[in-house]
Amino acid sequence: MTTSTPRRASSMRRHERLWGLAFVTPIAVQALLFCVIPVGIAVYAGFTNWNGLSGRRDFIGFANFGEFLTDKYFWIASGNTVVMLVPIPFYLFFGILLALGAHRGTPGSGVFRTLFFLPYISSIVALVVLWKWIFNYQYGLVNQGLALVGIQGPDWLGDPAWIKTTIVLMIGWKLIGITSIYILAALKNIPPTYYEAARIDGASTLRQFFQITLPMLTPAIFFLTVIGVIGSLQTFVEVQLFTSSGGPDYSAATITYYIWQKAFGSNELGLASATATFFALVLLAVTLIQLRLSRRWVFEGE
Amino acid sequence: MSRTNTTARRIGTVIAFTLMLLGSLTMVLPFLWMLSTSLKSSRLVFDFPPQWIPDPIDWANYVEVWNVVPLATGLLNSAIVTTLVVVVGTFSSTMAAFAFAKLDFPQKRALFVALLATMMVPVVVLIIPQFMIYAEIGWIDTLLPLFVPGLLGNVAMIFFLRQYMLGLASELLEAARLDGAGFFRIYWSIFLPLCKPAIAANVIIVFMATWNDYLGPLIFTNSPQNATVQLVIASFSAFHAEQTDYPMVMAASVIAVLPVVILFVVLQRYFVDSLASSGIKG
Repeated sequence: MTTSTPRRASSMRRHERLWGLAFVTPIAVQALLFCVIPVGIAVYAGFTNWNGLSGRRDFIGFANFGEFLTDKYFWIASGNTVVMLVPIPFYLFFGILLALGAHRGTPGSGVFRTLFFLPYISSIVALVVLWKWIFNYQYGLVNQGLALVGIQGPDWLGDPAWIKTTIVLMIGWKLIGITSIYILAALKNIPPTYYEAARIDGASTLRQFFQITLPMLTPAIFFLTVIGVIGSLQTFVEVQLFTSSGGPDYSAATITYYIWQKAFGSNELGLASATATFFALVLLAVTLIQLRLSRRWVFEGE
Repeated sequence: MSRTNTTARRIGTVIAFTLMLLGSLTMVLPFLWMLSTSLKSSRLVFDFPPQWIPDPIDWANYVEVWNVVPLATGLLNSAIVTTLVVVVGTFSSTMAAFAFAKLDFPQKRALFVALLATMMVPVVVLIIPQFMIYAEIGWIDTLLPLFVPGLLGNVAMIFFLRQYMLGLASELLEAARLDGAGFFRIYWSIFLPLCKPAIAANVIIVFMATWNDYLGPLIFTNSPQNATVQLVIASFSAFHAEQTDYPMVMAASVIAVLPVVILFVVLQRYFVDSLASSGIKG
């Protein structure tokens, strides 16, 4: 008995290690084959003239980086990509508003919340098809409605000045519902004692909102902003579906769109890889800066 | 004092209700318009003022659309890809989540951090080399790139389920070990059933992401017989919008959106609760 117990324990530990490793093997293989190795290839390919057609793969140093950094279209796409950040404050504001409404037990909140999810769960393809119809210059519901009050609606999809607005509106509209769910979760985590104390001190509802609710929401707002920025800067599918070749005057093309065109439109896989690698580093830097700045405005708890 | 408070509260409720009603209308009206358009015959489409409830209601688009576009092929391909990813992927993900939450093995922490880091890599960095690899091994224009990675699991799902399992008592594991149960049995008959609500929530997310995916099919497939439903709708709309056959395009879109809406309505309760609890702590 005394000799067998340690041996049994150690065989049990060995079993646990083996099973643990076996259980995580699929996801480790996935990460290696579909992420780590591809990233390695992308970084390497960025320094070559890899071309989908000729099969050449010569090492050309930083030439690709010089090429896209001096390309006018790359900078237009960069500007458009920054514009894609506009929906974030939009859906945060309306998401918070909706969450506050649901949290105070407004009648019908449950139904409203389900309805707010409809755009979020629908595919972007279906949404774009629908928006193209609703925002149609001549026959669309929106412009017909505007005509009713005597306004000639803009060419939402064809005018370079408006196409970005249309895309921004659609993304903002799509994400209000999911944002409100996260905010609602954060609201539910605020201890009711805070409000009781404030009420005893005679603080007004407005004061309670700015002194308690908003500070307590900052971690959730921060989280949503960080993932929102990462997602927005990678906007692609909307551009690809709403426009042909990036819209009039390239007015809607984003960086991801630019890269996609280089890789799969003109087969410049090396150039596209270099641009993608550079873009990944920029995204990483933006995220790190946000993490640093967060200390100034995110409430860390007591 | 208390009287003015009640009045103020009532006014607040009215304002909140009105705002939420307006918001909901903004969310729903486009979809009602989609449905309404899909039930119209072509000549009613451009009527002004628009008819919200078509007169007569015309179901013909839902019958004809199958002959006009390869919608059935698209739905079948999407169903194959989504079913495989959801069923097998959930299995792989929950196993990994169980190991990360409850078992001890070498390099556990490092591997977990590395997996989270893979989520930070922008998709556009991955698709080009993935395309090169798939071209090399003959996977281009097959369904393989759309489901094989997903079979091996989903990092976001592993992360959520690990959080959930950390909240379950480890004594369950020890007690079962003393009774002589193997690790697979402990995972399968104890922890998996306990995670049902969290799994339901993640099934919606993975189903949605796979069914709605457009980028993958766009880049890795090209012939019509390998198109998923999203590709079918996108090319149908690009082709037909010029000819303004909106009712047909809308009917196809309704059919494409329906599976996700049904799944969402069925599993919605888990979805909202789970996101709320495992997402972020305030």
